[in-house]
Amino acid sequence: MTLLLMLPALALVAAVFLWPLLRYGWLSLQASSVLTALVAVPNGGANWRRLIGDARFWQDTAQTLRFAGLSIGLELLLGLALALLLHRPLPRRGLMRTMVLLPWALPTTVMALGWRWILNDPFGPLNAGLAVLGFPPFGFLSQPSSTWLFTVLADVWKTTPFVALLLLAGLQGIPGELEEALRLEGANGWQRLVRLTLPLLAPYLLLAALFRLAQALGVFDLIQVLTGGGPASSTESLAVYAYLNAMRFLDFGYAATVMLGMFALLLALCALVLLVQALRRRSGAAGLVP
Amino acid sequence: MPAGAQPNLIGSRRQRGPAPLAALAALLVLVLWAGVGLAGTGPVEVSVLMPAPFADATAPLVSRFNREHRDLQIAVTRGPLDTEALSDLAISSLLLGDTPYDLLLMDVTWTPKYAAAGWLEPLEPLLGSDALNGMAPGARLGNAFAGHLWRLPLVADMGLLYWRTDLMPTPPGNLGELEAMASELQGRGVVPWGYVWQGRQYEGLSCVFLEVLRGFGGHWLSTGNDHLPDLDSEEAVAAADWLAGLVRSGVTPAAVANVSEADSLQIFGAGQAAFMRNWPYAWAELQKPGSAVAGHVGVISLGAGTQGSWGLSMLRGSDHPQQAAEVMRWFTGEVSSRELAERYGYTPIWESLLNDPRLEEQLPLLPVLRQALESTALRPLTPVYAQLSDVLQRQLSALITGEGSARTAMAEAQRQSELILQAAGPKR
Repeated sequence: MTLLLMLPALALVAAVFLWPLLRYGWLSLQASSVLTALVAVPNGGANWRRLIGDARFWQDTAQTLRFAGLSIGLELLLGLALALLLHRPLPRRGLMRTMVLLPWALPTTVMALGWRWILNDPFGPLNAGLAVLGFPPFGFLSQPSSTWLFTVLADVWKTTPFVALLLLAGLQGIPGELEEALRLEGANGWQRLVRLTLPLLAPYLLLAALFRLAQALGVFDLIQVLTGGGPASSTESLAVYAYLNAMRFLDFGYAATVMLGMFALLLALCALVLLVQALRRRSGAAGLVP
Repeated sequence: MPAGAQPNLIGSRRQRGPAPLAALAALLVLVLWAGVGLAGTGPVEVSVLMPAPFADATAPLVSRFNREHRDLQIAVTRGPLDTEALSDLAISSLLLGDTPYDLLLMDVTWTPKYAAAGWLEPLEPLLGSDALNGMAPGARLGNAFAGHLWRLPLVADMGLLYWRTDLMPTPPGNLGELEAMASELQGRGVVPWGYVWQGRQYEGLSCVFLEVLRGFGGHWLSTGNDHLPDLDSEEAVAAADWLAGLVRSGVTPAAVANVSEADSLQIFGAGQAAFMRNWPYAWAELQKPGSAVAGHVGVISLGAGTQGSWGLSMLRGSDHPQQAAEVMRWFTGEVSSRELAERYGYTPIWESLLNDPRLEEQLPLLPVLRQALESTALRPLTPVYAQLSDVLQRQLSALITGEGSARTAMAEAQRQSELILQAAGPKR
């Protein structure tokens, strides 16, 4: 009976998730490109051998991880700060919360185009500010060593509100009496944050981190519009590489292989996060017992 | 109300119902049948997918065609403005198997790829093998591949050099003079930068490089029968080093590494540079109010400009190829071509129009375009062109941002291009 009731949901998951995944698996074992007139021809795992030896795939993997790591870290920190601020009784709190959410509501391509102008060298407002301070213009988007930092900046600007919203929901679930009790015991603000708020917020932090991980590892539109993957491919992400293979090179077999490589990476990272959490909960629970 | 009233109600309806209901049903069937009949004898509709600016520019022409033809109608779909976004849309619809479009307006570099994917209909059975006769030499290139004609050009396009008539009496005659003049003007503090071009890691960078390469006497693929990559030649290394040198010496701003056509137009249009490389469309933009250089811009064709035309192709599986071919011929014909040139400054493909003094009065750029179309630089005609261009863009982007030397960059581009062409097989 339970299974029967679950059937519609399972069918939906199978249709939109399992079926494409299986199809990708099949496609990754075929040569299916413009050179085969798009006819799928089994090629005995050649795509996978190519992936393992593909320096560009590994470079993009490192770049994607670098992007995801820094942006998620910053978003959690800033999101937490924002959530704590918005949780306090502030004048016009509703208005403040709406304003904070605005960047998240913008479509990514629009936002990325905006940042491309903000970071423009020499006409962008950031370089105008540098000029006022007496500095020469800086090539925010033309330096292979540092341009990726500005893709992170744009992502943090856009997505921090999303993290803040999740954490705000978590904060509102923490009973006020607990904080009051700690306060009566003489705990200061920092102690209350570390001993009470953060432990109770942990599931929400984890949720936000997992959501963001899935999104950041698949980052595409931001990069495509802001830098096109350049300069010198220094900001190219795995999703951009997969897109190039599928839509520009019409090499669907290899594009599917890159996508599956990306999927494996995401699965591994999510498993790692959940494992660490499980271990910490076990030791953490023991520590809480007086 | 008593329960028994229910059947009674229905019953009473039944008693009155049948006659009007049947009449209604009969009428419906009649209307549907008539409708199907009308649709069957109605006009044939040829649907065309174009980037939005082309769809807008051709709208008056299309509505006139539709008024004049009762049995043949054209339906234009406004696609995205961006070249690659249009390609994505077209490819997505083609992959689904049954594309809703009969004709597609294509960039010149897509032709071999689309043809090899089996998405295009060869045109010579429909249009004859002389369909390109009367077109300028530079416009005829890039439409045929592997022994078939796949595309009819609608508008010609090529890379041009824009120069400031208020800063110098005559334009440079070659790349060396260009660099010297740009450097001299910049050195005197007349302009912040000498020369701007497209250095973002995208197709524009390949176009810029190809022109410089031809200026140095080199070729992307060798001109022999084997068509192997020729990117590690002395000429290619010199060309790459020349571009990187412009950035090193500051004649070109380092920001060029993220500059596309629109960005370079912005810089040149604000009077910040003495020279710019761009396509013909920039001319009209620079004459608009708000341009700091309106009236002070000259255009020349410095060597062979990269060919970048748009043309119509027929997608395989079109339900009415004959009519679609007729629409193609009309769209690209001299009447339409003249109107598009007069109204929007679209570069005509026909020799007759390029040499028409009447048109020249309206299009001061026409002599330059005519000369430029005598020899254009064609990007490699291969289904794997996107891969070849991608390899080149990566190496050039690294080079102009100060990584490595021109020799190593071109050696790597050569190695990777050879791999791509080897994998593609001898026929490609």
